Amino acid sequence: MVKKRSMSAVAMLLIFCMVILTACGGSNSGSDNESGGTNNGGNEGGKKYKIATVVKLTGVAWFDRMEEGVKEFGKTTGHDTFMQGPQKADAALQVQIIEDLIAQKVDAITVVPFSAEALEPVLKKARDKGIVVITHEADGMVNTDFNIEAFDNLEYGAFLMDNLAKAMGEEGEYMTTVGSLTTKSHMQWEEGAYKRQQEKYPNMKAVARQLETNDDQKIASEKLRETFKAFPNLKGFQGASGNDAAGAALAIEESGLIGKVNVVGTSVPSVSQKYLESGAMSMIGFWDPAEAAKAMNTLAVKVLEGKANEITEGYDLGVPGYEKLIVKDGKYLYGAAWVGVTKENVTDYDF
Amino acid sequence: MRKWTKTSEFYVAIIILVLFAAIGSQNGAFFSSANMFDLIRSSIVPGIFVICTMMVIISGGIDVSFPAIATFSMFSATKIILMLDFDVPVFAAFLLAGIIGLGLGLINGLLIAFFKLPTLIVTLGTSSMFSGFLLTFVGSRQISNLPAPLEQFGKTQVIKFTTDAGITVGLPMSVLITAAVVILVAIMMKYTMIGRGIYTLGGDPVSAERIGFNTRFLQCFVYGFVGFLAGIAGMIQTTMMRSSNPVDLLGTELLIIAAVVLGGVRITGGHGTVTGALLGLLLIVTIQNSLILVGIPSYWQRFVIGALILIGTGVAAYQIKRSSAKQSSILT
Amino acid sequence: MPKALIELNHINKSFAGVHALKDVSLRIEYGEVHCLAGENGCGKSTLIKVMSGVHAPDHGEIRIDGQLRSGLNPIEAINSGIQVIYQDFSIFPNLTVAENIALNGELAARKKWINWSKMRQTAKQALDKVGVDLDLNAKVEHLSVADKQLIAISRALMHEAKLIVMDEPTTALTQKEVRALFRVIEGLKRDGISILFVSHKLEEVFELSERITIMRNGKNVISERADQLNREKLVYYMTGRQIDESYYEIGKQSGTPLLRTDNLSLKGCFEHISLSIHPGEIVGLTGLLGSGRTELAEALFGLTPATSGEIFRDGEPVSIRSVQDAETHGIAYVPEDRLTEGLFLEQSIERNMVVSVIDEQKDKWGMIDRRKVKSAVRSWIQKLGIAAHSPLAPVKTLSGGNQQRVVLARWLAASPKVLILNGPSVGVDIGSKEDIHQVIRELAGQGLGVLMISDDLPELRQSCNRVLVMKRGRIIGEAEGKSFTQEVWSELHDARDDDAGPVERRGNTA
Repeated sequence: MVKKRSMSAVAMLLIFCMVILTACGGSNSGSDNESGGTNNGGNEGGKKYKIATVVKLTGVAWFDRMEEGVKEFGKTTGHDTFMQGPQKADAALQVQIIEDLIAQKVDAITVVPFSAEALEPVLKKARDKGIVVITHEADGMVNTDFNIEAFDNLEYGAFLMDNLAKAMGEEGEYMTTVGSLTTKSHMQWEEGAYKRQQEKYPNMKAVARQLETNDDQKIASEKLRETFKAFPNLKGFQGASGNDAAGAALAIEESGLIGKVNVVGTSVPSVSQKYLESGAMSMIGFWDPAEAAKAMNTLAVKVLEGKANEITEGYDLGVPGYEKLIVKDGKYLYGAAWVGVTKENVTDYDF
Repeated sequence: MRKWTKTSEFYVAIIILVLFAAIGSQNGAFFSSANMFDLIRSSIVPGIFVICTMMVIISGGIDVSFPAIATFSMFSATKIILMLDFDVPVFAAFLLAGIIGLGLGLINGLLIAFFKLPTLIVTLGTSSMFSGFLLTFVGSRQISNLPAPLEQFGKTQVIKFTTDAGITVGLPMSVLITAAVVILVAIMMKYTMIGRGIYTLGGDPVSAERIGFNTRFLQCFVYGFVGFLAGIAGMIQTTMMRSSNPVDLLGTELLIIAAVVLGGVRITGGHGTVTGALLGLLLIVTIQNSLILVGIPSYWQRFVIGALILIGTGVAAYQIKRSSAKQSSILT
Repeated sequence: MPKALIELNHINKSFAGVHALKDVSLRIEYGEVHCLAGENGCGKSTLIKVMSGVHAPDHGEIRIDGQLRSGLNPIEAINSGIQVIYQDFSIFPNLTVAENIALNGELAARKKWINWSKMRQTAKQALDKVGVDLDLNAKVEHLSVADKQLIAISRALMHEAKLIVMDEPTTALTQKEVRALFRVIEGLKRDGISILFVSHKLEEVFELSERITIMRNGKNVISERADQLNREKLVYYMTGRQIDESYYEIGKQSGTPLLRTDNLSLKGCFEHISLSIHPGEIVGLTGLLGSGRTELAEALFGLTPATSGEIFRDGEPVSIRSVQDAETHGIAYVPEDRLTEGLFLEQSIERNMVVSVIDEQKDKWGMIDRRKVKSAVRSWIQKLGIAAHSPLAPVKTLSGGNQQRVVLARWLAASPKVLILNGPSVGVDIGSKEDIHQVIRELAGQGLGVLMISDDLPELRQSCNRVLVMKRGRIIGEAEGKSFTQEVWSELHDARDDDAGPVERRGNTA
């Protein structure tokens, strides 16, 4: 009896430790929030705010870059800014992180939702508690003070399509992928691209649309292989998730299809450089997540300082690409911050 | 003999044949050599995972931490090799990943064998811990430029030919590693005392101890060995993707467990074969890689994968229910 | 003294401060059938484990063939010819017959590789020794209990066993299978193999053994030739007190039964059950494990409602579809082990009593009314005659019998009219058993109807006025309580054994 009990006590203790460690591992990744808080010189002595940025996923180059922007913003303005995100692309984990932030009483949350619908309730809760909410890549989100996009999603999709059409010689079959069918921005890019193709490139044809890759390079690679078997005349691939284009390019390289199938998509230079150089990838589009982070955080500060009504058509946020905002329905903002990168200029970027 | 028609492997094999015929009739490209090779390629990493999961389930446990161990091992091994200044041979890279995996697996094994904690709880916990530790302390940024020997290994193909359609079809070297693991484990499970010990452990752990097996050693062996194999599998993933991503693989465990259970490995422990586990994997990989071929729209693809997990775990739940049901035919 | 096959001298063993064995000695001669008897929890199992090297004794010596063996481990014990067949046979349902028989030997020989054809060969030889024929490649999970036991015995013989220890080998066997087992044991004895037969069933003890060692409370009480002992002495040595066998009798019952069932059936479990229980009756219900008796009880209590047939309470047809229904109609069910394991020893008597009826002790605000609790507890302590100095004393301070009363009070606090007990004294020593029976009789005397499910023939004989026998989902006979002996039971149960044989074999494959 006694032995059994002490054993189970040890077990409980272990589980307890594990839970704590797990919790730390789960949300702490990349939250070095000491960096900027104390350095408050330079700012005009205004109140210092605590602003959290919540991203879809940590550990990917994209959001690593975003974190750089978050930290830099904190350093230059003196606000306490930090970034958090789940290790697994999962809406529920994101909700949990935001719940924790609400409990910590941050002043503002800027968030890149994995699934806009899933976050509506928790963001409503945050706003009800007086927390300023700024979203990114979630056009049409209801429970937000402002949603800011680097650009109008449909236009960005069209921009990618223009590049794909150019690579394909404006004719032939193509396919599109998205990270997840519930990722609004991916779906809108795809939509914009498809619309542009219908209007401007009648000789092109979408043979497979909106295939899900779960933001996984391996799956993107497999989807390309499979689609190519089903449609051997495939000439183009447009990927929405940051891993799609790289996965497709890998499959193309291995299948000896360089020059036969053209890949464009959203990606970052550090991942795509080798494929751009080998010709497996034609072009990548992106916007600098660091600038997006700065734009979000600047917006958050503006709202906190009560200057929300200043933000109207043409407003200059003072962040590159966001100098002339387009405003729709009062709170949906669009910059023009996309960047197109090809073999020629890929070495200009270091993330 | 009438016996082999009664095995679950037999039924899975029939389902697979029917599935092949169904998909093939929809799209002849299914039977192309390119497609067959792609199915094999898609099974290389999951192939090792199903072998791992099969061993753990036969031993009467469950392990959901193998993706985390694989990711941890491959990413930290890649990092370590990058920090070293000279070109480490491929063999050493795999060994290093394997040893890291072994260490992590032993943590599972020790917690399970010596503290008698439930395996699901332990591995759920360690899975999260490993992944959190990796991202916090080792690094969170994808490594796109692998050390040259690994990059080279990833590009080397065992077989390579070009089809009439102009596609280069090939299999990476790593397929040999998976094949070796499969054969090794199949022999181990059937012809060694340790293998049979794992079966006895899943059949009745108390009796296993009574007839003289060291059950603690067996449990540590199972989880340690599985960790080792997961580390190897992670390194294969890295070479195949030519990049090391610290959030790769996570979340694949459910489909793997579903595959193993569909292949006739009983979730309650003690029953199952390598053949069965591989057939279960083949079933799932085939479905996963044929939905575009048969023209199922992407919304439905989600549905199908979800249904697969449900059926896989449903079969498991049914097994548990049946094994504990007292209502099994008292009446004649 | 000449050397014996095995000698255990002055063995002491304790677990986390609990003294399981106190100065126990046991001596087994070459080729004898020895019986180790004692109540559950007296240390028999621990002694076996010491003998087979599973537990190392704290003090004392083990001699095998006269040689002192310190630090005996299971493999050495097996190599010395000591084989234990545990109650669950320690066989692996997921492995084949051949592997179950031969794996031990291979393991003991520290083989690293498995030679399947050799294993099948050795298994065949072992089965031949016992004289049975089984499919070597069949998985054991599909075999009957008796076949599993034969496998366990064959396995024990494999390794040139000199002593085979059998722990409660007859528990799950039919009478016919028990006979077959005894023949096998006699055969082994002729081959010069010693048998240590561990049992608490008195009938078996006498039938088989040449010498008997009796243990009580972790000590050995006596070692004696079987013909020097009789039943009364055995009971006395096992319990340490004189227990008179008495019977529970009540007159012929007429009038409306408390509970009556008409053609009650549950698909796949039991069918056409018609029984009645009158006030004051204690009706026994017996049958082998898996005969449907537990399922019947659970159906009466609404846990797994019956699929057809009717239930009457006080003559009124009632529908019992859930536990709530059963409780509304005054039916209480005490599952197996509940009387023995359902106590929170550290908690007070009061708390232990109220757990199951906490609802009834609430006031209108849903709070527990302390005064009501107190008076309810007082009345139960009085009603059941619990000897306690205070209701607040921890249960562990009570004697065994009084602890049993506390448990019963918990089930009775909801004032049921029909009490269903499943294995009320499983694992209880004879003394406490007697106490439980006494309490049950008193309750019946107050007009309660009791349905008692049990394996224990003496228990049924002494406590019940009637006994029903179930087999494969049907009631196949009824007997008067005091005349319900081993012979009556066998006669009732094995009456249709011939047509039962092949069915039993099929086990759970259907």
